[in-house]
Amino acid sequence: MEQATAAFVQEAHEILSELEDLVLGLEDDPGPAAIDAIFRSLHTLKGSGAMFGYSSLARFAHHFENAYEKVRAGELTVGRDLVNLSLEARDLLGGFLALEGDVEASEALLHSEQTQRIVARIQAVTGEGGAAGERTAARPDAAGRPDAAGAMPARGGGPRRYRIRFRPLRDALRNGMRPDLLMRELEDLGTVALAVDAGALPPLDALDPADAHLTWLAELETEAGREAVEDVFIFADDAELEIEEIAADTAAPFDQALPDAGAAAPAPRPAGEAGATAPRPAEGGRGTGAARPGESLRIAASRLDEMMDSLGELVIAQARLGAVAERISDPILETVVEEIGALVLGLRDATLSIRMLPVETVFGKFRRVVRDLSAELGKEVRLVIEGGETEIDKNVIDRIGDPLVHMIRNSLDHGIEAADDRTAAGKPAAGTLRLSARQEGGEILVTIEDDGRGLDAAAIRAKAVERGLLPEEAEPDERTLHHLIFEPGFSTARELSAVSGRGVGMDAVRSAIDQLGGAVEVASRAGKGTRVTLRLPVTLAIVDGLRVRLGGQVYVIPLSAVEECVEMDRAETGRRSGRTVLRIRDELVPYVELDGVLGLAASGEVSRRVVIVRASGARVGLVVDDILGQSQTVIKSLSPYHRAIPGLGGATILGDGRVALIIDVATLIRQAESVRALLEREAA
Amino acid sequence: MTHAATDRDAGHEAQAAGGAILLVFRLEGEAFGISVEPVHEILDPPEITPVPNAGAFAPGLVNVRGVVVPVLDIRHRLRMPAAAPGPTARIIVLEHQIDGAPCRLAFVADAVEDVIEAGGATLDRMPEIGARWPPACIAGAIRHGADLVVLLEPSALFAPDAAEAAA
Repeated sequence: MEQATAAFVQEAHEILSELEDLVLGLEDDPGPAAIDAIFRSLHTLKGSGAMFGYSSLARFAHHFENAYEKVRAGELTVGRDLVNLSLEARDLLGGFLALEGDVEASEALLHSEQTQRIVARIQAVTGEGGAAGERTAARPDAAGRPDAAGAMPARGGGPRRYRIRFRPLRDALRNGMRPDLLMRELEDLGTVALAVDAGALPPLDALDPADAHLTWLAELETEAGREAVEDVFIFADDAELEIEEIAADTAAPFDQALPDAGAAAPAPRPAGEAGATAPRPAEGGRGTGAARPGESLRIAASRLDEMMDSLGELVIAQARLGAVAERISDPILETVVEEIGALVLGLRDATLSIRMLPVETVFGKFRRVVRDLSAELGKEVRLVIEGGETEIDKNVIDRIGDPLVHMIRNSLDHGIEAADDRTAAGKPAAGTLRLSARQEGGEILVTIEDDGRGLDAAAIRAKAVERGLLPEEAEPDERTLHHLIFEPGFSTARELSAVSGRGVGMDAVRSAIDQLGGAVEVASRAGKGTRVTLRLPVTLAIVDGLRVRLGGQVYVIPLSAVEECVEMDRAETGRRSGRTVLRIRDELVPYVELDGVLGLAASGEVSRRVVIVRASGARVGLVVDDILGQSQTVIKSLSPYHRAIPGLGGATILGDGRVALIIDVATLIRQAESVRALLEREAA
Repeated sequence: MTHAATDRDAGHEAQAAGGAILLVFRLEGEAFGISVEPVHEILDPPEITPVPNAGAFAPGLVNVRGVVVPVLDIRHRLRMPAAAPGPTARIIVLEHQIDGAPCRLAFVADAVEDVIEAGGATLDRMPEIGARWPPACIAGAIRHGADLVVLLEPSALFAPDAAEAAA
């Protein structure tokens, strides 16, 4: 039961987050599908809430549900007011959920002024009196629904009759089902004649009281449609359910229903009745959902982490095996090693794919952020989301939410102008914020783009000089200026607002993305807008890496950052003029010596090689002693003793059992730049 | 029971020496002890991968059964001169809590001597001027046979932040 409650809470959280999206979606498309979905969400919350002891939540959800019942019936139109109200009500449901089933506190919240105010507003909207009973209030009205209500069958004005056969599966009670409550809910719909078929009841000595053995038979006379009847059982998954409409003019013989039920065997489906046979119920357990495509399984994230750890060990062991096989050099062994290699790769991909979530799971949350924030700022902003289906490792997803919120706030606060200014500038009054994601090789690109005023290069320059980030006489290009916004303590907002602009924004974003082994780039045009691009690794656990040698040590450079490898020109190696630029084809590429940046003594080797990497949008060469090859690399994070060292992104274990450090290209290049800046300052 | 410790030291004694089992190792000839409880294993020094820009206290990493473990040089923290490991050198691998998170770490000892039961022994307070070791790193000393075994205080000894160790 404990576990079932936990499952309910988790599901409820998911429903609430879905509900938010649905409600926000109403503003654009108040179609019947969306309204049905909202209604169902609320109904499920209400139903399972009551079942798992969250009765205050259920009672509040009931009011909320009533409103959508009216909408569904076409008696109420969706407007901004209703959306606002719904969002508030949704948040309040979250509040109930947060009380973790504490009955007293929930009761207090239910009767709190805040709740009562929202209830009153809902009732004002639905036209319900405050004194209306909770469950019955909406139902009689339902008769008046026009047929526009959608999926409901056309019907005459009169009541309809249904014969319902409800047989919970054996484990249903253990899973928290309460057939008595369901039957009571049926009673709310109209007049019910109820009977119980105990034919499947085993002899007393074989009876496990926690098993469900009874079949409920009900004959319902109601004004509501079939859908309303189905809705009662909406969350009663582990049961067989038959709903059959019977002629309305059949004399209303409650007593006729009973004998009917008593003679259970010839009832609608004889097979199900006698058959307490095991295989059938197991099949029926999923009820209508049995054939549902894309059925999913809920797994604790920690189990996936364990699986990932084991996989990491496997990859390392495999690398060791490869090294051993190379030494032994036996063709039969090599075949096996190759085969194992292919299998491990397949297993890696499969395991990684389990951990993948669509980026929509984090994007979806921003609809609300944008809506609330633009209202707060008095700006009109349209949010466009693209590529929400792009998948990223769960661990990455979990860690990009905050940086994204930061950037969205920045865009809304500083980027997008007030409507008047926009109109004056010849732009549409409503600003557009575009959030998109796509995969590019081993990286996911997430962009946040606004059509606002763009970055003010002159203001950035002035600020950078003031903060000592830039020498007064320096004339960096616009791109370099724009990237200064990521420096610690940088903020150009003239007035601090509550929304953003404490100068902790963009550098926090950059360090968060750095920690993920990603990179941030910004592009902006004055008056046109700003685009920030996050380059994120698809996964944090295993990357393809390029092994390079520096002296006697091996380092690994993530392949996603590598663009190409070239020979180091011997003439360059000995150059003492201070020039550190290579000509690659027609392009000049600056380079740094990796040993130098890492504070190691120069190896003195002459025939060196250069790995060209991309960092913050620019190409930079890293000079190394040799390039050894590429391989899968299991990333082990560094301990607190080494975590803060710039240029290092983790460690891994090589095939020969030695530890190799993984280079973090973004922080390495920044380290190189700051070393250079320091030298310049000393020279000056 | 002839020692003249204060009440506070008496409490300390119960915790550090009373019934504790200690691992005794040598650094520069001196006998040091730590509780054996968090110790995982004692190994011949494997190849240490140096970590660039890491500083003298945590110079490298080793692979201990597939786990990447930082190797600490506690000689540095105890203000002893640096020295290359000799033929009797061992690394001691243990589990340590840093800011509430478990962290596996290793350190090099010149030699690992013994595991002793400090049951009856009494904990002496280390006079502050008796050594140049940072006082925070020292929990006290016990007599073991003819030897004086210096008990180390792990939280300061292994603190990633040097300032904490000196405090």
